[in-house]
Amino acid sequence: MASRFIKALCLVLLLVQVAPARESAPFFSGAAINTGQQISLADYKGKVVFLDFWASWCPPCLASLPAYDRMRREIGTEGFEIIAINVDEHTEDGLAFLEKHPVAYPVLADREGGIGILYGIRTLPHSFLLDRDGRIVASYRSFKAGDEISLKQAIEKLLEQ
Amino acid sequence: MIIRILKFTILALLLQGLQSPALAATCSCAGVPLLTSIDTSATEQGDFFISYSTEYHQISDLVAGSDDVRDETGRDRNSISQVISASYALTDRWSVSALISYVKHNRTIGSSIFGKETTSGVGDSVILIRYTPLFITPFSRHELSLGLGARIPTGEDSFGSGFIISEDMQPSVGALGKIGWSSYSYAFNQAASLLLNASATYTDNDDNDRKYAFGNESSLSLGLSQSIGTKFGYSAALRYRSTRTDHRFGFAIPNTGGEWLDFVPAVQYSVTDNLKLTLFGRLPLTRDLNGTLQFTTSYSYGLSLTYGF
Repeated sequence: MASRFIKALCLVLLLVQVAPARESAPFFSGAAINTGQQISLADYKGKVVFLDFWASWCPPCLASLPAYDRMRREIGTEGFEIIAINVDEHTEDGLAFLEKHPVAYPVLADREGGIGILYGIRTLPHSFLLDRDGRIVASYRSFKAGDEISLKQAIEKLLEQ
Repeated sequence: MIIRILKFTILALLLQGLQSPALAATCSCAGVPLLTSIDTSATEQGDFFISYSTEYHQISDLVAGSDDVRDETGRDRNSISQVISASYALTDRWSVSALISYVKHNRTIGSSIFGKETTSGVGDSVILIRYTPLFITPFSRHELSLGLGARIPTGEDSFGSGFIISEDMQPSVGALGKIGWSSYSYAFNQAASLLLNASATYTDNDDNDRKYAFGNESSLSLGLSQSIGTKFGYSAALRYRSTRTDHRFGFAIPNTGGEWLDFVPAVQYSVTDNLKLTLFGRLPLTRDLNGTLQFTTSYSYGLSLTYGF
């Protein structure tokens, strides 16, 4: 009985399949809350895109936004863009932060999770690096000061391809 | 009886870890406090945690039914467990946790040196497979996890003066235990900094080689956990547990089994982004124990260190 039970447990483990990594970034569109411009991910095909999910209640997120804005200025926007997705239940909370710490890149609101669920967002911060073909090549689930340095290197490597 | 308490504590702590996304939990096993922390908080594919925990149990309360009885035997009994555990998320919904324990029991009866007895050794191990159909995200306030596992008798019998020592002084229960587990959490806010946690567990115990079977155990836990900033967190829970009477060769053992209601507080500090320290304790609120007299846990406390890769 005991060995049967342990065997059954092992079998369950073997049957559990690791989900294949998603390749193409799910499509989304919407109006940027900070610039008013209409955004569609498809418009950025041919560019390297950094997609950043954040909320006003997430301290690391608040540190990352200004850092990403500086990084964007350094890299330039010829072949690169950042799109931020604010997931605050109350978008005004996100806007209040943006008023104090404005960023030049577009920020979309995603209160209901229409975009976040597509990307499997469970914790914040969570960001994705997309190549010129719109494929996810890396994801990041944390941010601390200095992380933007290695991120910038990864972006520049993609821009060279 | 003591064994049962320890067994239960192990599982309860294990479950506590499972139910509290904010705080690591500890569990202890039969014979002695043993299992400790398995941090089974909801994880994402590829997450890997290793944890070390130690726990001290003072087992000196003498109880008749639900009444405390003055113990005049000069008896002192405690157990210390150390546990190493690991958890790995196979996918976003499936994870596996395992732990192994080392247990030391001390018992003194009277003032004679012959009344002192100490046993120690590798205790039981636990493996738990968990499935999480619902999890808390910025867009969902509910989390549900279901688990199936086993307590595996990895320890060896301890011998004293050529005789097998009593069950309550064994580092290991010595028998397989089948574990069913479930946990539910509700986030009061989008940041999930304040959570309601509930969990239920059931353990079905087999006979060991000495044909002794600890009574099957069930437990229910309800509590709150809160994160304060990015460094601190705390939790407080009420835990009810019930164990059936032990059996040897199929015959009921008197003065075993009962019901307990405990208060289980914990505080946590994140030393770094990857390392967190948790202090936890357990205090009995009420109990109603079978038979005429039973020794039972007076209190327990411990700490755990969890490192996430």
